[in-house]
Amino acid sequence: MLSCVARSDRRGFLRGAGVLLALPWLESLSSVLGQSAEPALPRRMLLISNNLGVIPRFFFPTGTGRDYELSPYLRELEAFRGDFTVCSGLSHPGVTGGHSAENCFLTAAKGPARSGFRNQISLDQFAAEKLGQVTRFASLNLGVNIDRANRSLSWTRDGALLPAEDNAVAVFRRMFVQGNPEEVARQLHRLEERGSILDALMEQTRRLNRSLGAEDRVRMEQYLTSMREVEQRLHAAREWESKGRPTPPEKEPRDVRDKRFFLEKLELMLSMARLAFETDSTRIITLMVDGLTTGVFQLRENQNTTDGYHGLSHHGQAEHKVRQLQDAECQQMGLLRKLLEALAGTREQGRRLLDQTMVLYGSNLGDANTHDNTNLPILLAGGGFRHGAHLAFPRDANAPLSNLFVSMLQQMGVEAESFGSSTGRLNGLEPI
Amino acid sequence: MLCADIECCMTFLQSCVEAGVLSRRRVKRGRAAWAVLGCLVSIPLMAQGRGEGSQSQDAALRAFAPLLEEHCMECHEGSKAKGALDLRKLSLQVEDRALRERWVRVHDRIQKGEMPPPKKGDLGEEERARMVSLLGGVLLHVDRAEVARVGRGPLRRLNREEYQHNLREVLQLPHLDIRDMLPEDREGHHFNKSTETLDMSREQVTAYLEAAEVALRAAMVSGNAPLKAATYRAVGTDLFPSVGTFGNRQAMFFAKGDQAVKVEAKVSKEEEARRAQDEELELALFRSASWPYFGYPKRFLARVEGEYRVRFWARAVRQVDGFKLVPADLPQPMTFRARKPSGPCIAGDPRATGGILDIAPEGAVYETTLQLKAGETFEYSLLGLPVPLAFNVKGGPPTYRFPPFPEGGQPGVAFRWLEVEGPLPPVQWPPASHRVLFDALPVGEEPADPQAEARRLVRRFAAHAVREPFSEADLRVFEGLVLGRLEKGEPFASAVLAGYKAILCSGPFLYLREPKRPDDHFAIASRMSHFLTNTRPDEVLAARAREGLLRDRSVLRSEGERLIAGESFERFIQNFTDYWLNLRQMRRDDPDVRLYPEYRFDDYLVESLEQETRAFVGTMIRENLPATALVASDFLYANDRLARHYGLEPLVGSRLRKVSLPEGSPYGGLLTQGAILKVTSNGTTTSPVVRGAWVMDRLLGTPPPPPPPSVPAVEPDIRGAKTIRELLALHTRDESCAGCHQRFDPVGVALENFDVLGGWRERYRGLEEGQTVKGIDRAGHEYAYTMSAPVDSSARLAEGTAFANIYDLKRILAANPRPLGRNLLHQFTTYATGTPVRFSDRPEVEAILDACADGGYRVRDLLLGLLESRIFLGDAGCR
Repeated sequence: MLSCVARSDRRGFLRGAGVLLALPWLESLSSVLGQSAEPALPRRMLLISNNLGVIPRFFFPTGTGRDYELSPYLRELEAFRGDFTVCSGLSHPGVTGGHSAENCFLTAAKGPARSGFRNQISLDQFAAEKLGQVTRFASLNLGVNIDRANRSLSWTRDGALLPAEDNAVAVFRRMFVQGNPEEVARQLHRLEERGSILDALMEQTRRLNRSLGAEDRVRMEQYLTSMREVEQRLHAAREWESKGRPTPPEKEPRDVRDKRFFLEKLELMLSMARLAFETDSTRIITLMVDGLTTGVFQLRENQNTTDGYHGLSHHGQAEHKVRQLQDAECQQMGLLRKLLEALAGTREQGRRLLDQTMVLYGSNLGDANTHDNTNLPILLAGGGFRHGAHLAFPRDANAPLSNLFVSMLQQMGVEAESFGSSTGRLNGLEPI
Repeated sequence: MLCADIECCMTFLQSCVEAGVLSRRRVKRGRAAWAVLGCLVSIPLMAQGRGEGSQSQDAALRAFAPLLEEHCMECHEGSKAKGALDLRKLSLQVEDRALRERWVRVHDRIQKGEMPPPKKGDLGEEERARMVSLLGGVLLHVDRAEVARVGRGPLRRLNREEYQHNLREVLQLPHLDIRDMLPEDREGHHFNKSTETLDMSREQVTAYLEAAEVALRAAMVSGNAPLKAATYRAVGTDLFPSVGTFGNRQAMFFAKGDQAVKVEAKVSKEEEARRAQDEELELALFRSASWPYFGYPKRFLARVEGEYRVRFWARAVRQVDGFKLVPADLPQPMTFRARKPSGPCIAGDPRATGGILDIAPEGAVYETTLQLKAGETFEYSLLGLPVPLAFNVKGGPPTYRFPPFPEGGQPGVAFRWLEVEGPLPPVQWPPASHRVLFDALPVGEEPADPQAEARRLVRRFAAHAVREPFSEADLRVFEGLVLGRLEKGEPFASAVLAGYKAILCSGPFLYLREPKRPDDHFAIASRMSHFLTNTRPDEVLAARAREGLLRDRSVLRSEGERLIAGESFERFIQNFTDYWLNLRQMRRDDPDVRLYPEYRFDDYLVESLEQETRAFVGTMIRENLPATALVASDFLYANDRLARHYGLEPLVGSRLRKVSLPEGSPYGGLLTQGAILKVTSNGTTTSPVVRGAWVMDRLLGTPPPPPPPSVPAVEPDIRGAKTIRELLALHTRDESCAGCHQRFDPVGVALENFDVLGGWRERYRGLEEGQTVKGIDRAGHEYAYTMSAPVDSSARLAEGTAFANIYDLKRILAANPRPLGRNLLHQFTTYATGTPVRFSDRPEVEAILDACADGGYRVRDLLLGLLESRIFLGDAGCR
C-alpha cells in the first residue's frame, strides 16, 4: 500500500522533529499602543487551501470518532494523531460551480459561478477586523504559484480581492528587514502626509457621491471604504514603523521562483508562516496553494510530472495520473507534518506553539476530478482543541463548514456567534 | 463563469457537469395546472414601481406562462429538474438582474431551437416564435427600463496599465514604470477592463498613493543642469565580459583576419590592456541569449535610469570548420536585452530593448537607443541561433555541447567596436515633466509668496491632469490640503506634491464613467481614448470634448478614424489581443523538447508568432477587412523564421511583411495562426476539447455554456481510451457528455493537423510507438521521438455539416460571416464599456450588423458603428 516518505532531499526550510526552540518574550502591541493587557498567550491561525483538493479515497479515514483508522494520507501525520481532527461531510451550502468556489473557501459566499456574484468577507479578515492590529501585520495573505490577479483566500467586506504574496523572500523582508533611520523617518513622514491626503480625498468623494446614481454610488462607497480603512490603519502603522523590526531567527532564504519547484515553494511558504508566528509578526495567515497555475512540476529529484497539476487532477482514474497526483498530495501532507513538528518543537512560555496555533488544511473541492464542491477534505490541527477524532457529518446532507469557522473564531477570542452560512459551532469540536 | 482559465475546458467534465443531469429520469408529464399559478402569483409583484407599460408586460407573461407549462415543465420541474433548472422555482420577477439573466438564457435556448430538445418535436415554429417574442419582449422592456434608470454599467476603475499610461501622459514621462507597484487586475469576461471585477480595496488605494508618489518624484528634478551623459567605448576583448562563453569556441571566439585567435584567460595587466585596445580584433558570436549566458560588454553599467544610445560596427558571418569566418549569405537579426550583470544566473528578467536590427553581411555601423534602469547593462541577443545547454555526462559536471553546424556553416555576427552614450539628456532643462509640476519656478527655489503660488500651481495642475474639469468645491479641497501642509511647515515642493498626489488618486482621476447626459462630451472622450489608445484623450480629442462636438456622428467617425490610424492605437492592439486572444500567455508553456526538439529555446519563433497575430489584428481593423478574416484570409504576416515555420518561400530578415499565401496552404486567418494554436495547447499535446471550446468562445462567439450549479457530476472514466479520437468517441457515446461536446469538439478536431506551435503535421509524435526519428537538436542535445498515428481531422458539426479537414471547416465558417461580425462587436463592447452586451443592447448590435452587412461585416466599420451607438454613447446617442 501507499507510503510516501517525504523526500529526504528537501531543502529543510521547515525544521524537523527533535529541534526545540524557545521563543523570546513576544512584546505585543498592547504595550506599544498602551491598550489594556491581553491574555498572556495569544492564539493564532494558519488557513491553508489547495484549490485542487485531494483524492478523497486517500484522505478520508474509515471509522468515526476517536477509534477511526488512519487513511494513507493521514498516516503521514500519524505522530500527531492526538493533535488534529479530521472532518468529513462538510461543505459550504450554495457554494458550487467547480473551480469558481476557490475564492469562497474562507468566505462561504453563495453562487460564485452566477453572473453578478460578489464575494464577502473572509474568515481571516473577519478575525483581523475584530482583533485589531495587535501585531505588525494584522494578517498575512500568502500563495504558492498563485494567479494573484484572480485568486485569493482573503476578501474584504465588500468583496474586493486582497492579493496574495507569492514571493517568500519578499515576505521575509517585509517582516525582518529594518530600514536605516533616514528611511524610517521618510516612511513616518509619508504616513503622516497620507493622513491629510486621505482626509481631503474623503471629503471630496463624499460630496461627489451625492450627485451619483445608485450603482455608481456603490462603486464610490467601495472607494470610500477603502480609504477609510487605510486611514484607520495609519496610527498603528506609524507605531509599528517607529518600533524596530524583530531580528530574524534565520537567514534570508534563497528564493525559489520557478513554478516547477512547486513543492519547494510550498515548503518555503510554510516556513515563512512559521517564522511569522515565531516572531509574532502576525497571528492570522492564509495560504492558497494554486494548482491551476502549476504546470508540469518536479515531483522528485530528476522526475517531472507528465501533466500539469490541473491535468493530473482530472485523472479520470487513469492509473499513471492517479499515481503522480497521489505522490504530490502525499508529499504535501509530509510538509504539513514537518510544519506541525516545528510548531510542536517551539515553546512559548513553556507551552507548545502548536497548542496556540490552529492549522487548517482543506480545499474548495471535494473531488477535483468531478469538480465536486461537497464533502470537502478538512483537517484542523493544534490551537488548543480536544483533537484525535474523525468528525463524520452526513455525506449526503453536509454540515456547514462555517460552523468550524465559528468554533475557530471563538478560539481566537473573537466573540462571534455566526459567520458565513453557519448554524452554530461545529458539533464535536471542543476546546481543551 | 468566473473561471477564465482555458485549462478548465481541458477537463472532460465542465460540460459533463451540465450534462450529468440530462440523462436523468424524466419527470412524468402533465402536472396539475395549479403550478402555472405559481408563476402567476409573482406577476403582480412585478408591476410595483414599474409604471407605464407594466400592464402589457404582465399580459405578455400571462400569455407566456401556459406555453412554458406545456413545453418546458415536463423536464424542468422539481428536484430532478434537468440541468438543475427548476422553472417552477425560477421566479419571473425579471426586475431582478440575476433572475433576468437566467431567463435570458432560457430565451436564447428556445430561440436557437436547442430547447425543448428537437427530438421532442412538439413545439411548432409558430409557437416557438410566440414564446420567444413574449419572453423577449418582457426582458427587453425591463432591461431597457433599468438602463434608462441607472445606466448601462457603473463607474469603472482604471486598470494598472491605464493608470500608468495616464500618469505617463500627465507627467510627460514616456518611460515611467510604475505598473508593477499596483496589484494585478482581476479579469472579467476575459478582459482587464470589466467594471464588475475592477474593485477597490485598501491595498489598491495604498498602491495608488505609492505609485503616484513615485511618479511625481520621477517627474521632479533637483539639480541646475542635467546629468552629463557619459560615454563608453569597448574594443577588442572589452566587447565581451570573458574570453569565452558556454558552448565553447563553436559558440563564440575572438578573431583576427577571419580566423579565431587564442585569447588566454589569465594574462598580465599589460597584455590585457593591450588586447582591450586591439581594433583589429573581432568578437564573433554564434549563439542566442538564453541561460546560461552573460554576453554583455565588459564593465559597462547604467548609472541612472534613462535612455542610452548604442552605436557599434558589425557584420553577419558564418563559422566554418577550423573556427574560420566567411561572410554570411543572409542578414542576421539581433536585439539587446537589458539586465543586471549578474553572471549566468539571471536575477531580474532580461527584457529586449532597442528593437530588432538586421545585421548585414557587409560590415556597417548600427545605432539604436536602449532604455536602461540604474545598475543595468545589456547583452547581445542574436535571434534564432542555437543555445548550448548543460549536458551532464553520466551525472558528472556540466559540459556544454554545441550542435552540428548546418550546411554552409553556423550563422553568427562579428562585432568590432561598441560605443554607449547616456543617459541622454532631456531636450530642455528643467525637463517637461518638471515644468508640469512647477511651471517656470527655478529648480530648488521657494516662491516669494508660497500661498499664492501654491494656489496657482494646484489649479494649473488640476486643469492639466484631470480628464473633466473639477468643480470649484473640489479645487478648494486640494488647495486646502496644500495650504494646510505649508502651514505645518512643509517645504514648498513637498506640500504642492501632496496636493498633486491627492489629485492623481481622486475619484475623477481613478474612475471612468459612462456618458449619460446629452452634454457628457468629456465622458465620451475618455471612453473613446481608453478604448482605442488605452489612455486619456489626446489634445485633439480633449478639444473636441470642450467644444461639445462628441455627439456629432461625423466627428465621432473622424476622431475614431484618426485614433485608429495613429501610433497610440498600437496600445489597443497590444492590450486587446493580450486578453481577447490570450497573447499575454504566449510564453506560458514551453514546447516539450522530447517531442519537439526543433522548438527548443526558439524564442525568436515564439516572438515572431506573437507579433504576427498582433500585426494581423491591426490590419483587420486598419485595412477594414471582412469579419471572415477571423477564420480565413489569402495572406499572412511573416518574416524569415515564420516563412520556414509555415512552409512558405524563404524570406530574408526579421521584419514582418504581408505575404500572399500559395495555393493549398492551410494557413490564413486568425484561426490557424501559430500564436492561437500555441495558447490553446499545453506545450506537449493538443486537445480538440480545449481548442474547440476556446475557438467557439473567442473567435466564433458561442462559448460553451457554464455548468449549472449544484449538479453532481458524472465521474468520467477514461481508462482504456488511448488516442484522442477514442477519448472523443467516449464524449459522443455518453449522452450526458454529448450534449455539449458535440458543439465544440469538432472545431478542435479540425485543428489537429497543427502541432503545439502551429506547425503542420500529418502524424502525431510520440515516444514509444511508431517509427523512430533521431537527431541532434539546436542546443546540441540528442533526441529520439516516434512518428505514431496519422492525424484524422474530419468530424461533423453539431448542426450536422460534415467536414474532412481544416480547409473544409474554414469554408463552412467563412460562408456565414454574420456571427463572426457579431462576436467582434461583443468583444469590442466588453472591452470598450466594461460591460458585456446586455439584452437591451441586442437590437442595437443587430442594427450595426445590418449596416455593415453589405461590405461583409468589415472590422473597422463594426468598430466605428459601435462608437456611434447608444451602447457606447449612452441613451442620448448621437446626431
